[in-house]
Amino acid sequence: MHEMSVVESLVDQVRAHVPDGSEVIEIHLEVGALEHLDADIMQLAWESYILDSELAGAALIIERVPMGVRCGVCGQDYEPEDMACLICPNCGDVRPEVYRGKGIVLQCIEIEDGRPSTATMSEGKA
Amino acid sequence: MKVQVVENVLKLNDEVAKWNRQMLADHEVACIDLIGSPGCGKTTMLERTLQALNDEMKIAVLTGDLATTRDAERLSPFADQVTQINTGKSCHLDANQVRQGMESFDLNEVDLLIVENVGNLICPVGFDLGQGAKVGMFSVTEGDDKPAKHPYVILESDIVLLNKTDLLPYVPFDLDRFRADLGSVRGDVALLAMSAISGEGIAAWVDWLREFVTGVVKARLAANCSPV
Repeated sequence: MHEMSVVESLVDQVRAHVPDGSEVIEIHLEVGALEHLDADIMQLAWESYILDSELAGAALIIERVPMGVRCGVCGQDYEPEDMACLICPNCGDVRPEVYRGKGIVLQCIEIEDGRPSTATMSEGKA
Repeated sequence: MKVQVVENVLKLNDEVAKWNRQMLADHEVACIDLIGSPGCGKTTMLERTLQALNDEMKIAVLTGDLATTRDAERLSPFADQVTQINTGKSCHLDANQVRQGMESFDLNEVDLLIVENVGNLICPVGFDLGQGAKVGMFSVTEGDDKPAKHPYVILESDIVLLNKTDLLPYVPFDLDRFRADLGSVRGDVALLAMSAISGEGIAAWVDWLREFVTGVVKARLAANCSPV
């Protein structure tokens, strides 16, 4: 149940990127499948946290990023259907290197302010 | 208008964790993050560990719990420096709490920092604290299905401990199934079965810790001696 901690960080991050006086319409968030974050609880935490704030009414759009694994033995990339069964479909070994499906990434913020923003950063991966 | 961000939401935590890691490296302190369910035996295992290692290295413990200082009280007789972190409602430690806890220690007098995370197999896994190794801990009373239900902690752990093996005759726990499920997540993860009560497996765990601490010191010396 660390959804509230994540939402707290998210709200700080959104505020840092939104120009003063802008109305925030939507937040787009990518959540790795391994992160154990429940989308419904995230929504509830988000709505509770922004209630009575300048962000009230902003929608949280969550996209789940499936797990992607590279075999540490043969190099095969695969997307396991079961996160607890990471046997390589090519060589049968189990040396998974997770290259996708971890992390929580704020992708973009949809705002209504009538003026352009140049805020662009690039880091992190889900 | 769309503002592109593409930024890790836990960026601040990760930056503080990086700072913690640097502080630990500067003081040549090895650090483990111990993650396991409530009641899996983390504190009892640490009591044993500290007793075994107290004469040969200086150990500090940061122990996290929602409330009470009971774990710190239990561990204080066996460790040079112990600090309790009460997280209130939070189900995990974050890097800033560890940073604050580290400030209570004289790191010049520490060889190994053990962070005993809040009892939880889920939330602590994704929060980098600045540790050098993560230790995932299970116990036989939790059931043999935990690796299948909690693959993330297996993927992130440098070693997996299975505690309370003295209770195997009394609980429905299939050790082969546990091993098979563990092996379906990672074929190369080290598993140590132990009982903090009977002492079985503690020596092997302590050996692992010794090697981990020695490895951190060697890596530090190698970095200092690297050719210019």
